[in-house]
Amino acid sequence: MTTDLTARYLGATTAALPPASREDVHSELTALILDMTEARTEQGEEPEAAERAVLTELGDPAVLAASYADRPLHLLGPRYYLTWQRILGLLLKIVPACAFVGVGLAQLLTGADVGTVLGESIGTALTAAVHVVFWTTLVFVILERTGTETGADWSVDDLPPTTRETGTGLSDPILSLVFLGLVLAALLWDHIAGLVHLEGDWMPVLNPGLWPGWTLVLALIVLAEAAHAIVLHARGRWSRGLATVNTVIAAAAATWALVLLAMGELLNPEVIELARTVGAIGSNSLGTLGALLGLLVLGIAVWDSLDGWAKTRREARRV
Amino acid sequence: MSENFESHRQELRRGTAVLACLQLLRTPGYGYGLLEDLARHGFPTDGNTLYPLLRRLEKQGLLTSEWNTEEARPRKFYRTSAEGEALAAALLTEWHELSGAIASLSTPLTDKES
Repeated sequence: MTTDLTARYLGATTAALPPASREDVHSELTALILDMTEARTEQGEEPEAAERAVLTELGDPAVLAASYADRPLHLLGPRYYLTWQRILGLLLKIVPACAFVGVGLAQLLTGADVGTVLGESIGTALTAAVHVVFWTTLVFVILERTGTETGADWSVDDLPPTTRETGTGLSDPILSLVFLGLVLAALLWDHIAGLVHLEGDWMPVLNPGLWPGWTLVLALIVLAEAAHAIVLHARGRWSRGLATVNTVIAAAAATWALVLLAMGELLNPEVIELARTVGAIGSNSLGTLGALLGLLVLGIAVWDSLDGWAKTRREARRV
Repeated sequence: MSENFESHRQELRRGTAVLACLQLLRTPGYGYGLLEDLARHGFPTDGNTLYPLLRRLEKQGLLTSEWNTEEARPRKFYRTSAEGEALAAALLTEWHELSGAIASLSTPLTDKES
């Protein structure tokens, strides 16, 4: 009764349907196609031309099957698009940068040349970006297909404060966290493998005698700084309290470095010894270098602290 | 202009097909016959939108269906359920209210100004 063309159309439509409704749709659609074709032949059309016209009118079997099965014809709908975009943007800011720096550092430490370091870092960062995009999107496509709620309903409380432009944007905490993570990694790496390559040997820059007590203190200071960055981002603006905490952390970090420097305990004695003998740097010059290092530490702490207060004042004035 | 009109017209008519089907199927009907009835009453509908629509309404319990195999060509007959009739009545009230609301927009501007 049905021709080859109609049979192919029916096959293509029902193949994409859940098995339960396949037979039902098949019979119903058959009747419809025959009815529609008949109506055309009664008007004097050639049966073959009529059939073609009917099937053309019904359109792409895949589209028809999708509307039968109530399947979305898009990868990501309006319900998930913005959440997907936000999360992807956030991940793309963090992950490739971490991969770039991490791989670059590892390559540098194993003594690779500049070309290899750059090549490997860029390659890994790109691969990381592709992975981030793919897996994030996959998760959201599954959410879309299963109709799961993301719980990301918008409320008035989500409105960003107008003072956000003053320097507490999203890139600030991310940069801080990436930097602090690297500091911790460097501390650990310095102790395990050493950060400088002198006289054919890797050796730690920091005095090995600082491990574990003094190193732990520094790690705690770094973690406090990280917590501060997160709280700052969550609040979205500086305040007197946050500026005070910022100053305390900066002072703690500076004190840690300056006390050890003054006691001559900060740097690895072996490195200093090598600098003296192999580098032929005199004791006077070493003293000057130490003083310069101390000034640098102090300068960074003062600048960091003042920066926090300046932002606090600027934001207080805006409100 | 005409392209704009077409899209706005479709937007305005969307949803009327549901009401039309529910009303027409108070007497049982099958797909193609319903397509013709809809066109005759001024609701031209494509076969590829009508069939999925009927299925959706059936799934929602607004239509019931039954296969009629007595004739040469087996056909699936749909009929508006009690729930469907209740919905159609509610939608009709809505439609009349909407019609009145639209009509109230056409009153001369001077009335509103004074």
